[in-house]
Amino acid sequence: MRRSDLGEFEEVVLLTVAVLVPTAYSVVIADELEQETGQTVSTGAVHAALQRLEQKGYVTSTLGAATAERGGRRKRLFTVTALGGRVLQEVRSVRNRLWDRIVPQTILGS
Amino acid sequence: MTPPRFADRLLNWLVAPHLREEVLGDMHERFQMQANRLGASQARRRYWRDLLAYLRPAFIRRKPTVRRFGEFPNPTNTAMIRNHFKIAFRNLIGGKSFSAINISGLAVGMAGAVLISLWLYNEISFDRFHAHKDRLFQVYGLTGDISGERIAISTTSQPLGPALEKDYPEVEAITRVREIDKFLIRVNEKSFSGIEGAFVDAAFLNMFSFPLVEGTTHQQLTTVSSIVITEKLAKKLFGDAPALGKSIQLDSVDHFVVTGVLKDLPPNTRFSFEYLLPWAYLKKLGTGWSNDDWLSNNTPTYVLLKPNTDPAVFGGKIKDMTWRYAGRKDVWTHFLHPLSQWHLYSEFENGKPVGGRIETVRVFGLIAAFILLIACINFMNLSTARSEKRAKEIGIRKVAGAGRGLLISQFMAEAVLTTCLAGAVAMLVVYLALPPFNSLIGTQLSLPVSSVSFWLAVVGFIILTSLLAGSYPAFYLSSFQPVGIFTKQFRKAQLGLSPRKGLVVLQFTFAIVLVIATIIVRDQIIFAQERDKGYANNQLIRVDFVGDIEKRYSPIKQELIRSGAAVAVTKTLTGLAHDGWRTWGLRWPGENPKDTNTAITLFSTDAHLVRTAGMKLIAGRDIDSQTYPSDSFAVVLNETAVKLMGFKKPIGQIITQPHDGLTWRVVGVVKDYIVGSPYEAIPPVVIQGPGAGFTTMHIKCNPAHSTAENLARVEEVFKKYNPAYPFDYHFVDQEYAAQFDNEQRTKTLAGLFAALAIFISCLGLFGLTSFTVEQARKEIGIRKVLGATVGQIVAFLSKDFLTLVGIALLIAIPITWYAMNQWLQDFTYRIGISWWVFATAGLLAVFIALLTVSFHTVKAALMNPVKSLRSE
Repeated sequence: MRRSDLGEFEEVVLLTVAVLVPTAYSVVIADELEQETGQTVSTGAVHAALQRLEQKGYVTSTLGAATAERGGRRKRLFTVTALGGRVLQEVRSVRNRLWDRIVPQTILGS
Repeated sequence: MTPPRFADRLLNWLVAPHLREEVLGDMHERFQMQANRLGASQARRRYWRDLLAYLRPAFIRRKPTVRRFGEFPNPTNTAMIRNHFKIAFRNLIGGKSFSAINISGLAVGMAGAVLISLWLYNEISFDRFHAHKDRLFQVYGLTGDISGERIAISTTSQPLGPALEKDYPEVEAITRVREIDKFLIRVNEKSFSGIEGAFVDAAFLNMFSFPLVEGTTHQQLTTVSSIVITEKLAKKLFGDAPALGKSIQLDSVDHFVVTGVLKDLPPNTRFSFEYLLPWAYLKKLGTGWSNDDWLSNNTPTYVLLKPNTDPAVFGGKIKDMTWRYAGRKDVWTHFLHPLSQWHLYSEFENGKPVGGRIETVRVFGLIAAFILLIACINFMNLSTARSEKRAKEIGIRKVAGAGRGLLISQFMAEAVLTTCLAGAVAMLVVYLALPPFNSLIGTQLSLPVSSVSFWLAVVGFIILTSLLAGSYPAFYLSSFQPVGIFTKQFRKAQLGLSPRKGLVVLQFTFAIVLVIATIIVRDQIIFAQERDKGYANNQLIRVDFVGDIEKRYSPIKQELIRSGAAVAVTKTLTGLAHDGWRTWGLRWPGENPKDTNTAITLFSTDAHLVRTAGMKLIAGRDIDSQTYPSDSFAVVLNETAVKLMGFKKPIGQIITQPHDGLTWRVVGVVKDYIVGSPYEAIPPVVIQGPGAGFTTMHIKCNPAHSTAENLARVEEVFKKYNPAYPFDYHFVDQEYAAQFDNEQRTKTLAGLFAALAIFISCLGLFGLTSFTVEQARKEIGIRKVLGATVGQIVAFLSKDFLTLVGIALLIAIPITWYAMNQWLQDFTYRIGISWWVFATAGLLAVFIALLTVSFHTVKAALMNPVKSLRSE
């Protein structure tokens, strides 16, 4: 599995999908990310990332229920696939290994 | 609290359809959240910013169609179009009488329009097939401006052409065309007379594009004994054997060798020869043919200018040709008449082309357009009248989600289908009607079935017709509101509809205009036919001088009288029913300079003209060279000539003809008789004695014998004295009647199209009544129950339609009055338009409309009210 497959934003979105399943769709993901990072995140960017992730097979989607505030339109709900889960694990273990090798003094502040 | 509408619309347009739902849903949900959190205006701003995030290919790119194996891409939604046509077809089958009315009305209208268009195309394409058409001109003469008018002369003198070619480097070629039909054409033992031919200069075939099927275009007609004939004549003379190199004898005198065979001339050319003779042969024939006088206009002259010559400049240069060559300035000038105007603009006023056939072309173009229009109006009216039946269908379609565009295309499909069927019927009608139409108006039109552009035109015509007929119903029907269709108000709104009434008025206005025009043209013809001719043309026959007739005139005359077949015989300059020869510049004592420049018609006789033609002598005596040998230079005047010359005592007056230095003594005056067109004022006529020229003879047959008997005896005499030629004769009354041909044609055409217009309009009216009656079924039932009589119900149902016809009549009367007044101005001898013409046409229209309407109204009025009322 090549790491370059997963961009940073994609990785964050994929993680958020994993967090929010089974009600993960663009709006809540964008909202979640805004709250977590404090920066504005547009639904369009999230949606585009989700499309890319779906193409790569890390998530799948189904059309969910319609709600009034959506003007009677349905939403597209995303879940992480097994492959997506593995990729997340892999990314995490790489990071963890790297973190573990850092001499504590090197990183200052925080 | 809603998101910005424009942004929404932008998104809707930008984002691919398969993503629209989720994207817009997301945007709206987010907007609501943010509006709650940050307020509406902030949310709106954020909405726009969020929108930017969707401007990427992933969202904009449309979903590619996934094709299975064996499937091909459909450029458009064929399934829907197929469905449209299926529905249209079912609708046609469903309302059979409605479809029959629609299709036959359209077909008749289209057939009429196509027929006229064929004729129009023939007219405007006249002589346009010549390769050098932009550089070809006819040289005209133009008389001086003396009596306030300058008369254009289509012929020129014979030396003019060669002088033009010699003097001006701009001239590429010239040709003179002298038509001739008097030669007896002979091959072995076969001989033919009366075939039209022409003397032309050698350049003729290089100037005009008449292709040769045998021989080469170059070097034709250069030797004096060469002849070029058409395929038709070749077949007549030589059968299927090749004609090239064969010998032909003219008038049993001269032999010619066929050097070329021309393809038969197309019908759309002004030339009508079947053989061409070299100009050199005309020279060889000498006096009477060849004429080097610059002051005798007798031959049309054509010039071909070199490329890039400005005809206006060149025209200015040749203006005074005759002045210079004849050495005098009191004669005509010259101007050029371009080929493009030959056929359509042949009438001149002070040397400027002012019209001619173009007016007829315009009028018939208008008629074609109107015939098509009223046929389309039928379609519109019937389609919209049927709207109530279709309204529910439209409502259901709309509720089920059909957009307006879809409904429009559905109704257009119906229009296209109907028009195509009507077009097919129309082509069949045209195909069948063309031969009688041709003989009716004396043309040789044909359907150019092998021409691609013809079929393109047909397709274009059908598309145009379906757009014209279908667009109004399509837009009208598709505009119904589905909510309104199912309520009671809809019905009421339908009944008061007025565009339909306006269209009916338009149809009938046009039909009535044509009817009135037909009546007026007919009246004018009858008026002119009943005009006093001033001579008797029954039992009067005319024989042209061919072969030996002129030489042996005296014995022929004697023998004709002796045989008892003829009571009187005279030789004359032209046929009595023909336009005479005109001259200018005669002088007489007490003359007024203005009057000497009035055109005077020349005629001639050796003796007994008054007796032969049954003219009436007013003073003096007839010319008679046998009794009075000095009558060679005697003349007889008609009343108009006496009036023009202002003679108190005409007998014994002397008239001089300065050009040839002749003096004529007046010996008699005859009552005015018609010369040339029976519609024109009678011109002044000078009848010369035997000193003049003669081309023909008139024979008054013996009324005691039958015509056949007389003719047999006359033929015997001519066979004896002119054996080489077949005996050809003309009845003068038939020649006179031929003068009415043009107007008779106008009458026939106007009548034909009036009938067409009425037929189509009535067809529409018939259809409309059936719907009106259908709608008023219950009302009629209730009225009958309450005691209305059949007559009252018929009147109640017909009233509306009659009002429409009445309005049409009111509109038609001033239009026709104005237009027909203009038409009548062309005739000097004409009728006034009287009120009863309009009354007749009005009554006719009302009667026909009533008859049409009554079929349905009477049926409805007679219906048992129980049947119409039981269902509610």
